[in-house]
Amino acid sequence: MADVRLTQIKKAFGKVEVLHGITLDIPSGEFISLLGASGCGKTTLLRIVAGLEGVTSGTVELAGRDVTALPPEKRDIAMMFQSYALLPHLSVSENVRFPLRMRRIGSREEQAEKVRDALETVQLGHLADRKPTQLSGGQQQRVALARAIVSRPSVLLLDEPLSNLDARLREDMQVELIEIHKRLGLTTIFVTHDQEEALSLSDRIVLLNGGNVEQQGAPSEIYTNPASGYVSNFLGAANLLPAVISETGDTLSARLEDGQSLPLSSDESRRGAATLALRQEDVILCPEGEGQIVGEIGTRIYLGARNRYVVHVAGTEIRVLAGTETVFEDGSRVGLTVDPARIRALPQS
Amino acid sequence: MSDRAENTLLVLPGLLLLALAFFVPITQMLVLSVSGENGPTLDHFTRFLGDPYYLNVLWRTVRLSLIITVICAAVGFPLAYIMARVGPRLRLWLIVLVILPLMTSVVVRTFGWMVLLSRSGLVPQVLRDLGLAERNFSIMQTELAIVIGMVQVLLPFMTLSILGVVTRIDRRLEEAARTMGCTFMQTLRTVVFPLAVPGIVAGSLLVFTLSASSFVTPNLLGGSRIQVLAASIYRSVTQTLDWPFAAAQAVILFAGILLILVPYARLAGGRSNG
Repeated sequence: MADVRLTQIKKAFGKVEVLHGITLDIPSGEFISLLGASGCGKTTLLRIVAGLEGVTSGTVELAGRDVTALPPEKRDIAMMFQSYALLPHLSVSENVRFPLRMRRIGSREEQAEKVRDALETVQLGHLADRKPTQLSGGQQQRVALARAIVSRPSVLLLDEPLSNLDARLREDMQVELIEIHKRLGLTTIFVTHDQEEALSLSDRIVLLNGGNVEQQGAPSEIYTNPASGYVSNFLGAANLLPAVISETGDTLSARLEDGQSLPLSSDESRRGAATLALRQEDVILCPEGEGQIVGEIGTRIYLGARNRYVVHVAGTEIRVLAGTETVFEDGSRVGLTVDPARIRALPQS
Repeated sequence: MSDRAENTLLVLPGLLLLALAFFVPITQMLVLSVSGENGPTLDHFTRFLGDPYYLNVLWRTVRLSLIITVICAAVGFPLAYIMARVGPRLRLWLIVLVILPLMTSVVVRTFGWMVLLSRSGLVPQVLRDLGLAERNFSIMQTELAIVIGMVQVLLPFMTLSILGVVTRIDRRLEEAARTMGCTFMQTLRTVVFPLAVPGIVAGSLLVFTLSASSFVTPNLLGGSRIQVLAASIYRSVTQTLDWPFAAAQAVILFAGILLILVPYARLAGGRSNG
């Protein structure tokens, strides 16, 4: 276990700078997610921690030691690749033993013991003698995980390890990752573009955008208090509505572009032109006339337990999650209500 | 038409060519090798196998071919790895560079080596000037000359065979090995090399057969004193006009290559699959 400290990391490929000075402190034992759209530099940052990529400037410290100039094999890390990167000419148990063999950890017997333990952890003990090509995607994934944790590295790096799995397997693996992290307490850096994965797995999320840290914080904090339109948009849950916030007497309200207005909580400090972020589960649909504002149903998408509606409000499309007990027809006019305390006002975007 | 019939039709031209250009002459050669004045005989074979001179020629052919194959593999593997890992532009140039020798005739290339290696040539001269060789030193008409000349001719076959396999090795595997504690050289040994084995095997088969049956380069660089089997066959055909004996030598060369290659291909193929 060790802490990771990145200081002013800059990285350029040729003339294109992809990381613009990223500083991150990751305390020992933390599970941190680097979240962002493709091309935001999250994988590059992970590869820099691994030593597979050099930096243009800045320093990487593992456990208080500057490792910026060290090659990957001299860093006490393990990495799990999106494509698993199992060695096809070695059996499952030889694959898992590989890091122990190369790093000369323990005697032959101890290594065999550790390999057995790691394979048991991922419930693959019975497949030890197979070749990786004889395994399913989910099994290969587990082998890769076993191989990553077998040497008890100081830092575990995961590069979108779940993105090639189908939905059910992915949920199983998420649970497994959380449990393994709890048990071993490895400092873990997890790269993903899937906001749900990041929200459910991590102690802390670092949201990257265009080579900069857009926001970082605990999942609940980042979800409830997105710092910008980009963040709330990326977290996928929010609708963004342009509005002008003004005060009349004691009440604060936001006027939408078509003149309708929504009451805001009096805690809101922002005034003037702004962007309102409304999460899709916080908007309540009701018959026209009963709501605070009025919109028109565009499309209904049936999700099983819930319906998702696309609603036209003030010239913008918003998404609303609603129960299935009342169904609103396409094209009908509906009222919308939002708890003022649940509306976030963000800088105009 | 059924799939089977279509497949047969597709394979037919190749089969015909093979039958005409390969099986017919081989059969003729086999027949010729056992023909004597009074019906079938094994005299030609006993003459070859009973004569230390010819056994020596056979042994030299096999030995030199093995040496050439090993050198080609040792040079070709790192070369192919570098070619697979550099950018596409540089790779193109390297491929051109490797193939370039194949674009000139064998004879011209071999004369080039004669100029370089003969007593007054560049290489012995430099060695003499450096005090590393005696006054009469020459590389011409030695086995070394044959090896040097043949390695240059056959290196492209080895390199391109390995290149085809190495380019298909996922780079992530090497990166994964590095994160698991391998140095660069250990990665080459434990990851790249085992996965490149099929290419090395294919290249070795090509290089070994081509060098065992080659004639021009060994003949010109080795001279008449250092004979290889192909040259000996040529002499029997053109100088002593002993066609049955030439055919017997050809059969021995053919059988010898098969005897070495079949177990090798099986061994290596079995390892890379299993």
